[in-house]
Amino acid sequence: MRRTATSAGLFAALVVAIAVLPKFLTDFRAQQFAYVAVYLVALIGLNVLTGYTGQMSLGHGAFMAVGGYTTAILMTDHGIKDLWTIPAAAVVAGAAGFLFGLPALRLTGLYLALATFAIAVATPAVIKKFEGFTGGGSGKNLFGVKELTGGIAPVHVLGWKLNFNNWLYYLCWTVALVLYVVAWLLLRGRTGRAFRAVRDSETAALSSGVSLARYKTLAFGVSAAYAGVAGSLFAIATTYVNPDTFPVQLSIFLLVGVVVGGLGSLTGLIAGAIFIEFLPLWAQDISKSPGAPGVVYGVILIGVIFLLPTGAAGLLRRVASLFRGR
Amino acid sequence: MTRKPIVFVALAVALTLGASALAGSTRATGDPGITPTSILLGGTVPLSGVASAYSAVAVGASAYFKYVNAKGGVGGRQINYKYLDDTYNPAQTVQLTRQLVEQDKVFAIFNTLGTETNLAIRPYLNQLKVPQLFAASGDTSFGADAATYPQTIGFFPSYQAEGWALGQYMRKSHPKAKIAVIAQNDSYGRDLLVGLNRGLGGGVAKVVAAQNYEVTASDVGSQIAKLKSSGADTLAIFATPQFAIQSYVFANKLGWKPFVITNAVSSASNIMLLASEGGQNKTVLGSVSVVFLKDPTDPKWSKDPAIALYRTILARYAKGANAKDVYHVYGMAVAYATVNLLKRLGKNPTRAGLIAAVDSMNITDDPFLLPGIAIKTGPGDHFPLSQMYFQQYAKTGWKQFGSLVSYKG
Repeated sequence: MRRTATSAGLFAALVVAIAVLPKFLTDFRAQQFAYVAVYLVALIGLNVLTGYTGQMSLGHGAFMAVGGYTTAILMTDHGIKDLWTIPAAAVVAGAAGFLFGLPALRLTGLYLALATFAIAVATPAVIKKFEGFTGGGSGKNLFGVKELTGGIAPVHVLGWKLNFNNWLYYLCWTVALVLYVVAWLLLRGRTGRAFRAVRDSETAALSSGVSLARYKTLAFGVSAAYAGVAGSLFAIATTYVNPDTFPVQLSIFLLVGVVVGGLGSLTGLIAGAIFIEFLPLWAQDISKSPGAPGVVYGVILIGVIFLLPTGAAGLLRRVASLFRGR
Repeated sequence: MTRKPIVFVALAVALTLGASALAGSTRATGDPGITPTSILLGGTVPLSGVASAYSAVAVGASAYFKYVNAKGGVGGRQINYKYLDDTYNPAQTVQLTRQLVEQDKVFAIFNTLGTETNLAIRPYLNQLKVPQLFAASGDTSFGADAATYPQTIGFFPSYQAEGWALGQYMRKSHPKAKIAVIAQNDSYGRDLLVGLNRGLGGGVAKVVAAQNYEVTASDVGSQIAKLKSSGADTLAIFATPQFAIQSYVFANKLGWKPFVITNAVSSASNIMLLASEGGQNKTVLGSVSVVFLKDPTDPKWSKDPAIALYRTILARYAKGANAKDVYHVYGMAVAYATVNLLKRLGKNPTRAGLIAAVDSMNITDDPFLLPGIAIKTGPGDHFPLSQMYFQQYAKTGWKQFGSLVSYKG
């Protein structure tokens, strides 16, 4: 009970910090931190699958694309308000993930990584193919569409006036924190135990009565639903989707984010999300000559992996054990 | 779990604090990006990723602005041009453009590269009334939608204009041609094909076969084979560099020796050099394309004062940049037009003033463009360039020929 109380206290501190952060940020930075929340949602989802259940995915950018396009198509073609498209995106992407999870049962390790990578590679081409439905290469622009809550006019929430950037910030972080708690509740109980059992030894899990098929597909579904919500928020924040907004690199960045944050842990993922959002920008500040940002990014990434092999979560654990005097 | 109420109290306090932080910011008089000593422009280009070769358009423009600044700037103001890496991903373009507008407070977005990238930010910039100056794309919509998006203007000849010019050429010089087209499956390839058909104008020369490829495809081998079997004697390549090179190479491999017409984007000198496979591939010889910039590799301009100035500026303000890259010339041409516009804004430049100036451009002395080509616009006409020359590829490189053609959209 004491541990739970400490966790709750820490979580409350986090919520407070997040809620007051915009006070110390320029308007524009608030928007960048909104993207941190978006990536956080995707990373939580990916960590459920990769970190907790031990199933590799190099294709989560594709599930984000499914969510993003669900939102964009519902908003522009069906006149549905952006907020209501978020759960829809979760359902559609979750279903896609669940369906992909079925054939993926036969694949393990590297083969699964390759199969998921194939989805990430194929998705942009598939989106372009169905131009009438998806808008093709030109994509769908949501800025100024009346279904978009944010825009140039301020947004009124509970009597407060929020400008576009702060609106995005509070929307994305509210969703992210709720989903964070949901993931925490899911992972601490029976389901989480089953996930970890599958990860640690499939044979042992099976002999303890854990259904591999059930938990692997469940992990895929939950994970993809999270990615779908992230994609939906991404579309609302960016106000534009096209096949290039969900490139293959996005899937790889997400995996990088999970590793930097710490596999099999939720607390470190915020660091992973910050890494995804800000590192490319910092890399640009260091050098602008063509090709250089990519090299700087790579060097920093190698450095981080080298110094923090267990990710930000591992670092936190080490710091915490220092305080406990152990 | 006993501390739960505290959590909610904290949450409520936090939300209150957070919301109270959202008071409106104070606005200084005058438009953003203008100080008594400087003008700030900003834009995005791919500095990394598949399209990073195009970043030369920003390098060239930036070097030219530095040269102008060294001579005193415009009306005593230094032109600062901040360009950021969007990796050719429209989602990045949106974020970075918002950063430029909202955080860096640029006067105008300038020279952002790509079609989808510019489409992604167009409604945002137009609603905020931030000029979207000289979008580096030939997509017809940037010029044609001037009524809906008055803040937006492209620069180079529209893809339809290019296709039209090539069609006109075929109609006059190869009136019996049977043309096969390989085109990228997006608005870029489609605009070129529409223009080509319009230029052919229902004459005897016509398109007998057309094949598309996806920009994500690995190669265009099967498309070229199909086009060969159509019996066409002319191949029109409306592709991006990688696929243009492949088209030449596959045609050669199949023993097909068509006459080739191609558009400006897929016919830069370095592309042709690669496509010629070290002189092995003779299909490249005789290819016809359109051109509006002075090609620094063309011996014709080796003594031209503008190209000499171009080399000096590049050597001084963009160390290590490849002077043979025609995209640098493009950057300077567009920067020249921008300086010309800014000069017309007088002592107190405003965004509204800039757009008014954009609506009435008539620049006939841009030294980086081919002689006779003018930058002209009018209210509702946001096609700055609609004139070009033809060029033919020989062993020594591209050679300009014929007289100026003007497209009337």
